[in-house]
Amino acid sequence: MTKFNISRRTFVEGGLGLTVANFLPGTMPLASAATMEESTIAAAKSAGPAAVNGMIWSPYLVPMQPVIAEFSKQTNITIGAVQDISIFDAPQRAMAEALSRSPQFDFIHIDSNMIPSLVSAGYLEPLDEYMKKANFKIDAVGDYGTFMTYGGQTYGVPTDGNVHIQYVRKDIIEDPDNKKRFADKFGKELKFPQTWEEEQTIQEFFMDPSKDLYGSANLRNRANGPTWWYMIYYSAGGFPFDDDMKPTLNTPAGQYAVDIYLKDKKYNHPEAANWGTPQQIPRIAQGHVVSTQYWDGTAKLNENPAKSKTTGKWLYGLVPGSDFSGKRMHRSISSPLAAILINKYSPRKAQAAYLALWLGSGKNSIPIVTDPVNTFNDAWAKEHMTSDAVKNAYSPAGVKAIEANFQVVAPPIYLTGYLEFQDALGKNLSEAFVGQLPAKDVLKKTEDEWTAIIRRIGQSKLKKDLVSYKALMPKRLKPA
Amino acid sequence: MTVAALSAAEAPLQASPRAVSRRRAVRRFKLSLLAPLIALFAFVLMPVLLLQLYFSVHQWTVYLGSWWDADYIGLDLFKEVLTDPRFGWAVLRSLAFATGSTVGCFVFGFLLAYLMHKPFRGQAIYYIIFILPMLTVPVVVAYTAEMMLYQSGPLNDVITRLSGIEFKPSWLSDPHLALMTVSLLEIWNWTPFSFIIMLAGLTAIPKEPIEAAEILGASKWRIFWEVQVPLLRPVILLALVLRFLEAMAEFPKTWSLFQGGPGSATETLPVYIFMTTWQYFEISKGAAMSYIVMLLMIVIVLFAIRLLRREKRSLDKMYEQTDSPKVEA
Repeated sequence: MTKFNISRRTFVEGGLGLTVANFLPGTMPLASAATMEESTIAAAKSAGPAAVNGMIWSPYLVPMQPVIAEFSKQTNITIGAVQDISIFDAPQRAMAEALSRSPQFDFIHIDSNMIPSLVSAGYLEPLDEYMKKANFKIDAVGDYGTFMTYGGQTYGVPTDGNVHIQYVRKDIIEDPDNKKRFADKFGKELKFPQTWEEEQTIQEFFMDPSKDLYGSANLRNRANGPTWWYMIYYSAGGFPFDDDMKPTLNTPAGQYAVDIYLKDKKYNHPEAANWGTPQQIPRIAQGHVVSTQYWDGTAKLNENPAKSKTTGKWLYGLVPGSDFSGKRMHRSISSPLAAILINKYSPRKAQAAYLALWLGSGKNSIPIVTDPVNTFNDAWAKEHMTSDAVKNAYSPAGVKAIEANFQVVAPPIYLTGYLEFQDALGKNLSEAFVGQLPAKDVLKKTEDEWTAIIRRIGQSKLKKDLVSYKALMPKRLKPA
Repeated sequence: MTVAALSAAEAPLQASPRAVSRRRAVRRFKLSLLAPLIALFAFVLMPVLLLQLYFSVHQWTVYLGSWWDADYIGLDLFKEVLTDPRFGWAVLRSLAFATGSTVGCFVFGFLLAYLMHKPFRGQAIYYIIFILPMLTVPVVVAYTAEMMLYQSGPLNDVITRLSGIEFKPSWLSDPHLALMTVSLLEIWNWTPFSFIIMLAGLTAIPKEPIEAAEILGASKWRIFWEVQVPLLRPVILLALVLRFLEAMAEFPKTWSLFQGGPGSATETLPVYIFMTTWQYFEISKGAAMSYIVMLLMIVIVLFAIRLLRREKRSLDKMYEQTDSPKVEA
């Protein structure tokens, strides 16, 4: 090892000299102007060249490739082997990796709600040190950056906002004849729905199965249903646990959410019970739906005339709220929020971490979230909201809706054991939706199953997790 | 009996050194053939089974520590699984699915084999067409079926047009139909398996009993029912047992199409075990379930082996009876 003999005097003089030089005309830009991206490159170079291996679904990876190529050119850090796994299957695979403490993947691209479970299983590397070295900040809209944190540390870099926004058919609700018919029947003006009840009234009034036009395209299948339920439940003032980690689902707010959730059956397609995104997204884009909440990327699809029959026919806005708690409250949701997480056991974790930071800068991620073909990565950074490319892709109204919903976005269960909690609720909601379980039993049964999960994982452990979960919840009732 | 008489009686039983050496060589040869299997069992299967056994008697919560630190809980998990109504329903669904699809595969497979067992022009082409479904990857079967089976999809549309009656079952979203949908796909996917086995069985039936029956003026139905079916019984049994065991383990189509839903209509044993182990990460409970299912399968296999042996014995007896007049003649 090389030893440098520097006296205290030399060190202090040098420091003073640099400080003075920093303020000299012409030297200031050099001393302070390194952008976040430049700092990331500098930090990545210091980590040395490597080929990093990852687990990521190809629709997410493809639009990242030009951005990765630029990073590789500057740092000699390249992508090595990639395992192409759907984001829906990634959690199981990631947990298997965690349990075997495998160094196979340097990074994984996964739903950020898995962070608590993966940290608890000892798999994730905190990114705070790397972020500090790279002078990096997750510059997300609203408090969305907190979705990457757990136990006070940052574990992920988002690539996909995936926030729910409200979609309402402009050509239907702005049609003068429709406005008149609606006003005649209900004695009130037809306008963009502000509450769940208003939305369902519009859905019921305009649905026409004989023309293959259904009121809603909300997902009600076992895997995705809870995502919609949480929006209603949170907006009614509900939160699933008390401070002692006892489930608090079986409450009036919970039952209100179940009732609204199940009422959707009247307005949704008859096959909605088992339909997911592959079935509902084309129906939205082809104009078979009046109004729905959906992930923001669908706006990008709707506004692409090569892929949609409804370009220019949508209004985008804030998801409906509820007056149930006595105050009008709106709650959107982001799930799955795709993020890059780093494997603690990886021998190339520093290189993988800097690659993640590079992909997660507002500027670098603009081409990723605006790709017109691979539309999986959705806008999330502050910089996206003012970018012309993003506005072109999502429409200015779409971007405005994304920004508004991010201000009241909540996660689903953000605890160790996320998938277990999620599936128990999903199964019971689905059983009620298809008539296998009475609506009044859904929450009681889910609470019982959740209590068993809590007992197994450990109440005291989950009580600590609850602090992180609560920190992610939005503080305002509606967007500013 | 005197000692001398005893020695004389034993003398012919004493094997010669050459015979002993030959017997040893045969035993060594048999062992050398079995050695890879024994090694596979000892070094690959056995550790897995032991590890599973370890998990099933220890409560390992994956978030709280390493598996080697898990608490010993004896048979608690087995009790938990056996009293879990969800597991009970999963067993029933799997049994219903396996029985239905096995019978379906067998009926269609046998029918096709019967039509195909006598040579005819272009037989090879039909053979290839009939085995194609078996060569299709189950996940592809599931996704293709998904496109066909929408309520307003091509299948319902074709039936409606052909019958003139509106035919609109929700194959994929009606909880009463969902398991049947997977069963029908399983039948489509695996009928070729039963077809191949039954075709081999039918081709291997000796011609003499059939010719004799024809000479005696038996109708085709009587020949089929009283000659061919009894001779085919061991093959039928084999086809049923193998297919049943395979069907009990069906996962890819069920998971790709339904993930256990709608509601819990398609939560079969493999789906529930997968969810318990890889969705809930209850590795210990999953291991206990796997052991219980393994025991269930062993019982089924033992029962099947017993039936097969009985069938073989009765067939051997039948052949002996058929052969004996020839000897006398």
